[in-house]
Amino acid sequence: MKAHLMFRNRDFIVRKHPDGEMEQLIADLELARILEHMSRQDKIVQGVCREALLHPLMAREEVGYRQECVADALENPKIVRMLYQITINTETRRKKTWSWFSPHYLAGTFSSAVRLLGLYLEMLMELRMVADRHLEGLRSEGFRNLMILLQEELDDAYFARAKGQIDDLKKSDGTLISTQIGNYLQGVHYVLRKKEGKGHWKKWFFTPSYTVDARDDAGAKDMDKRRERAINEATNALAQATDHLEGFFTMLRRELAFFIGCINLSETVGEAGMPLCMPVLEAMEMRDRSWQELYDVSLLLLKGSKVVGNDLDVKCKSLYLITGANQGGKTTFLRSMGQAQLMAQCGMFVGARAFSAPIRRGVFTHFKQEEDKNLRSGKLDEELHRMSGIVDQLDAHALVLLNESFAATNEREGSEISRQITKALVESKMEVFSVTHLFTYAASFATEKGVQFLRAERLENRERTFRILCGEPLRSVFGEDLYHKIFAGESEPFTEGGTLPAVVSQR
Amino acid sequence: MRELENPEHRRTLTAFSKEVHFLGRSMEEIRKRLQTGNRQSQGYLERGHMMDYAQRYCDAMEKLRRALAEAGVRATGMRGLVQYLGAYMDSEGYQELQREVKALREGFSRVEYCMLIRSGTIRVRRYEGEKDYSKQILATFEKFRQGDVKDYRHALTEEPVAAHVEDAVLHLVSKHYKELFHELDLFFSKFIQFEDETILRFSKEIQFYITWLDFVDPLKAKGLPFNYPRMCHSKEELHAEACFDIALAADGRKEIVTNDIHLTERERILVITGPNQGGKTTYARMLGTVHHLASVGLSVPGKEATLMVFDNIHTHFGKEEDLTTQDGKLQDDLVRLHRILTSATDRSLLIINEIFTSTTLDDAVTLGWLMMEKIIQLRSLTIVVTFLDELATCGETVVSLMSTVEEEDPLIRTYKILRKPPDGLAYAMHIAKKHRLTYDALRRRLEK
Repeated sequence: MKAHLMFRNRDFIVRKHPDGEMEQLIADLELARILEHMSRQDKIVQGVCREALLHPLMAREEVGYRQECVADALENPKIVRMLYQITINTETRRKKTWSWFSPHYLAGTFSSAVRLLGLYLEMLMELRMVADRHLEGLRSEGFRNLMILLQEELDDAYFARAKGQIDDLKKSDGTLISTQIGNYLQGVHYVLRKKEGKGHWKKWFFTPSYTVDARDDAGAKDMDKRRERAINEATNALAQATDHLEGFFTMLRRELAFFIGCINLSETVGEAGMPLCMPVLEAMEMRDRSWQELYDVSLLLLKGSKVVGNDLDVKCKSLYLITGANQGGKTTFLRSMGQAQLMAQCGMFVGARAFSAPIRRGVFTHFKQEEDKNLRSGKLDEELHRMSGIVDQLDAHALVLLNESFAATNEREGSEISRQITKALVESKMEVFSVTHLFTYAASFATEKGVQFLRAERLENRERTFRILCGEPLRSVFGEDLYHKIFAGESEPFTEGGTLPAVVSQR
Repeated sequence: MRELENPEHRRTLTAFSKEVHFLGRSMEEIRKRLQTGNRQSQGYLERGHMMDYAQRYCDAMEKLRRALAEAGVRATGMRGLVQYLGAYMDSEGYQELQREVKALREGFSRVEYCMLIRSGTIRVRRYEGEKDYSKQILATFEKFRQGDVKDYRHALTEEPVAAHVEDAVLHLVSKHYKELFHELDLFFSKFIQFEDETILRFSKEIQFYITWLDFVDPLKAKGLPFNYPRMCHSKEELHAEACFDIALAADGRKEIVTNDIHLTERERILVITGPNQGGKTTYARMLGTVHHLASVGLSVPGKEATLMVFDNIHTHFGKEEDLTTQDGKLQDDLVRLHRILTSATDRSLLIINEIFTSTTLDDAVTLGWLMMEKIIQLRSLTIVVTFLDELATCGETVVSLMSTVEEEDPLIRTYKILRKPPDGLAYAMHIAKKHRLTYDALRRRLEK
């Protein structure tokens, strides 16, 4: 039995050892905070959502299936939470009744397994009842199919049969074993047999018998071993059955976890009063992007109040060069973009009023690392090494986000390196968003096709709006602004704008 | 022996020999129990064992005959064996044994019974198609399967714990299968002594050859040569090419370095000096083992060899490490040496390894000289491993050998033992130079 909520026809797998390379992506896009609010400290939800976010779907059909389930879950949070709670309760109760499946004591394993199966049957019944009561209210293919599956597979007849078997195993009215003859006539191939109800006792009453003497220790031990050999297979069957059920509940919990994450996040964002929307994803070959009020979800979660969003509507672009004032919201913008792309491609909503973008073959970030003057000489080397690592992973139609990359040298060199890398990426069918203060680099693309220039807005009075608008790069950079801001009011330098960019607030 | 070098033959014979030997011993035990009137031997389990042994015996015979026929044999000894086997296996007695075992086995393979065990009492009936519980359980819960699960089965032995209970159960079973068990009784008394004496003896004696060849085979596979040496008397020259120490080779951990042995008619004493860990003891041991193996008629390590027929091997291996008993050690050394030198003859092989390490150098040299004199007089074939260079130059019957090192890096041993006059100091200087501790080097270093 499979839940198939994440995919129409396959399981959702959470790998045991997530690769470390993704850590950089999580850090650059500040995904940790998003995951934190999705999971609300549930490790399973955390793991599943992380896996889903970091492994974007590439097929629009798959995205559609999951989007439908997410929408259903957001409309029926109570039902989804109820189902999820059953999986948690099962786990809690299992741990309580758990007595270790001893590798030495077969009879112990036997009775533990019988007890556990009883518990699982109870929990299955609870699932069935949820399905009976709430199938009507659900409308997504995924959730409806799950409910119907529970109803069909776990009908009354099934419960009766399973319960009958378990009750029978709890009885202690003798062990029936079939035996064949071994090479020197010893009994081999013991098989535990079912005692057929009626006539069983009558039939056996008059058969010849042998009774072990009360003082015969070896004989008594032999009797125990006989029983052990007979229940060996049956114990295995029982223990494996509990494994199957444990696996079933684990699978169900895993499949539901993502939707719990979505419900949690949408509640939190909703409270902060920012919009969420189901994105529209176009085919990979497309190069159009359009969005309204796209914002950095992570920044919102940090602040807990409204943040600035950006609008865009462009066609046939594959390179976005973002320039403009320092501390002007460029990095935040880049993050909001990366987050939205990942969230969209895992079937989630995105932080925007509307969002439409092509599917991308993965999102890759190359962000400038914290400055460290001492290591300046090795820094460009480190950056290029990191870039080379990313290039190893790239396939056509990947999304590459560059943030002040290769600036750890003088403008001329940095620009030339950046230019060559960027040009090569774009011509290899990558989509590139590049935040830079390297004027020479940005300007070198002025006459190219498919390039969109964006610029952090600055008002006449030097105030920043943290909005990113269309605009060509300007020769001078606004570092002076920062200088002024920091040195103007010594006490609280950042209060006037009211909104703090994430970069500053961290320092 | 050489026919047995054919691995095909050897495998067949090894298996056969082991099996028949085991069966012979087991039947012996059964008969012993029967004679002493042991209650166990009256039981069906014992009969079952006997039937099993008889079947295995027949199987082993069959297999041997088939294998030998397929492989074809040439040596007279082996042809005799094949002939004997044929006659024996065609005999009426053997044929009958084989037939009856087969019939019994078929009968028992159809037996299937049910035990109902309830608090110390076992009841037995024929199996009547009762349902397999495990399968039912699995079928009920199979649908929740998400992937592979652990196997919880314990590896339980199918051997009965208490033979008397198993026997009792068999008696209950016999009431449901009266005829079959009656046949078994008849078989038991009729064939209580089914094994053939000649076959048993053969299976025992062949072991000696097989064991040696099995031991040598993996070494040969590694490219180490073995040969059947020419044996000569003490007055001739001795010779062994590309020889190696079989104990070290069997250990398998180290790359084996081969060494040659060559002694003219006059030369009787080998004195080995040179750096430690250089293969001196190994060389001495090699000389001893090669001679020993040759004397019992086995193949020996090396490409080819001419070895001496000896009356005895005397060894004296000193234990350098044991410092606590130093006082008694010199005395002990001398007592042992005395015993050896009094019993050795000119046809003996003496191996003396690191003697007199527990006394002063002067003492050791003096004692060494005395020992050498004795040995030279004896004209025994002798190998002396020592740190005393002096012993290597005691006359024309003495050959000096040295363990050697790489010229560039004196810390690397070549494990080659070569004819060379002793020069212990040269090695020490090599090491010193490497560590820049020679006089000049140390002066220069200290000047700064």
